[in-house]
Amino acid sequence: MKQRRALYLAGLVTVMLVTGACSMSTSDSGGGMSGPRAASMSDAGGAGNDWTTYHGSYQSWHYSPLTQINTDNVKKLQVAWVHHPGRSTRGLQSMPLVADGVLYYTGSYSRVWALDAATGQPIWSYFPKLNDDLVAAQTHSPYTRGIALGMGKVYVGTVDGRLIALDMKTGQPAWDTKLVNSEKLTVGFTGAPLLVKDKVIIGAQGGEWPGRGPIFGVDASSGKKVWEFLTVAGTDEAMKTWGGESWKTGGGGGWMAGAYDAETNTVWWGTGNPAPLYDWSGGDWKNSGPRPGDNLYTTSVIALDPDTGKLKFYHQELPHDAWDFDSAVGEFVMLDRDGKKLVVHPNKGGHVFVYDRKDASVVNVWQLVNNINFVKSIDPKTGALIGRRDLPLGKHSNLCPAIAGGMSWNSGAYSPKTGLYYKIGQEWCMDLEVIKTTPVLEPQAQLDIGANFTLRNPEGGKAYGHLSGRDPVTGQKKWEVRFPEPPLASLLATGGNLVFVPDPRGMLRAYNAETGQEVWSHNNGIGHNGGIISYSAKGKQYIAVATGWGSLVGDEFGALFGEPFKSMPKDAGAIVVFTLE
Amino acid sequence: MRLFSVRLGLALGLLAAAGRPAPVAAQSPPAASDESLDGARIFGSTCGFCHQAGGRAPGRGPKLAGTQRSDEFILNRIRVGKEGAMPAYGRAFTDKQLHALVSYIRSLKDDAQ
Repeated sequence: MKQRRALYLAGLVTVMLVTGACSMSTSDSGGGMSGPRAASMSDAGGAGNDWTTYHGSYQSWHYSPLTQINTDNVKKLQVAWVHHPGRSTRGLQSMPLVADGVLYYTGSYSRVWALDAATGQPIWSYFPKLNDDLVAAQTHSPYTRGIALGMGKVYVGTVDGRLIALDMKTGQPAWDTKLVNSEKLTVGFTGAPLLVKDKVIIGAQGGEWPGRGPIFGVDASSGKKVWEFLTVAGTDEAMKTWGGESWKTGGGGGWMAGAYDAETNTVWWGTGNPAPLYDWSGGDWKNSGPRPGDNLYTTSVIALDPDTGKLKFYHQELPHDAWDFDSAVGEFVMLDRDGKKLVVHPNKGGHVFVYDRKDASVVNVWQLVNNINFVKSIDPKTGALIGRRDLPLGKHSNLCPAIAGGMSWNSGAYSPKTGLYYKIGQEWCMDLEVIKTTPVLEPQAQLDIGANFTLRNPEGGKAYGHLSGRDPVTGQKKWEVRFPEPPLASLLATGGNLVFVPDPRGMLRAYNAETGQEVWSHNNGIGHNGGIISYSAKGKQYIAVATGWGSLVGDEFGALFGEPFKSMPKDAGAIVVFTLE
Repeated sequence: MRLFSVRLGLALGLLAAAGRPAPVAAQSPPAASDESLDGARIFGSTCGFCHQAGGRAPGRGPKLAGTQRSDEFILNRIRVGKEGAMPAYGRAFTDKQLHALVSYIRSLKDDAQ
């Protein structure tokens, strides 16, 4: 009976996708679960019961409208169940998903689990056979940050360049498509795919390697590649922004999941930095150095047609990124304000860009972190960089933020109840020496960095992190909570007026979403560096969080902050699930 | 088709706000030479991401200046890596490049940073 219902829902989703019947705006969705999968859940009588896509919804709110757990009773929150996937190299970094009473998640080495969402009992697991020699040679590996659900399948990318579809009920592979020649390029997939209509969309790794950062559209039924968009010099116009053959130095990977605007049938995706990270030409970057020019479409937000992969429009947040401040990080928060349909997107450098959804024209740019000196400012009307600090060959002191960014790759959250955007900011800087390296023009198994550096405290103070609740369009701050070290995990906002913050020391904390007052905490025993969601199963609301430490940003904590990070394991992690007692 | 889509974008005025990207003069990056055996360059390209201050300070990876490890240990660690901590660079570098890296590490003074 359950299977028949699932098949019915899958069919319903397909029909709605094809007809566009699922299209809805932020203002009328009333929650974070709109989009095609939410349409099926709504039909099932439980809109908001599930969490069916990486960012919680196509609007990237990371918001659950569920209210059973709220500010009045959150102190009664306790562990319901725990699941250990084993072999959690670099910790669990993924965002679990829930559909129809089943929790799906992926661990390191692209291992996928399906568990009963109410009890944690395993239903099936799938461990792909990977190229172990390749994995051993990869720097940004072997974590996998998420999956996509829909059309009766679970979709997962692998670090050796494949996209795999598994039957949601059995875990049996439906198709397995090789998309990236990882053996040649070193990089593969670590980010979550995004299901849009009948396409699975996924971006490859790659900021520090000589690839062209492709984003792929794959037919969800057959696994056949339908399109591929090259984020490095992918159009004639873009090719002209790389001097000579310098486009071969590459970069630009769209290594995190993007979002989808159903009203305009537009996929929004962020791209990574160009290689090498640092450019010895300094202020002469338009004419000399390893990659002269603006280097389109690196460190950009790009808008693609999900049916064809064609570029509709874009905005390059940092022309000729010379600091490794990706646009691949973070969410695309879609909301309406004063008749305008907006999208809010954080950039790793510490600024938040607000765009008009119709064309990516800049509506505002505001600063989330205090310690920024890689530019003096960014014009809030045009997005133009003002007073950029280019870094010629030699030593430089106190560049802010540090290479780890003013914001990291995990996501913030937006609550339509409070109207506030909750986001972590990172306050740290670094000293560096830019090195004239040999340009890497051919794919090879090594990074292309171009500098030696040391993270440090900002001048006059210590490195730290903060959570703030702000107006997402103006950046006006309503409240802020400081942390001795920047939290690195994603945030969750709920209809129960709560904001959950999994912190690096291992505490999962809940705050009053209106005031920032801490109302609950629990020690998970190890740092957090992954996702957090809320869902309902068998009438109860749950909070599920990924635990585990050891991301490339977290790896810096031992040297900068000491214990508990020096001794924190980097090969452990679990899904820990909470409910009311 | 891509050209078409870009023209469409231009027609919509999508690039106006932040200024259009300026085409650059055709110019190739510097050609490679014996630089490929310069240990400091190799380190700055690949290793400095984790071993901070050019190997003089700990970061993602340990400080290397003044290491008591043998050359054989260092060569093997670079070739084979360490699961979850350091990639295997055995296929990335030639033996000469590996030895150049070891020479660079040995040249680091332990009093810096």
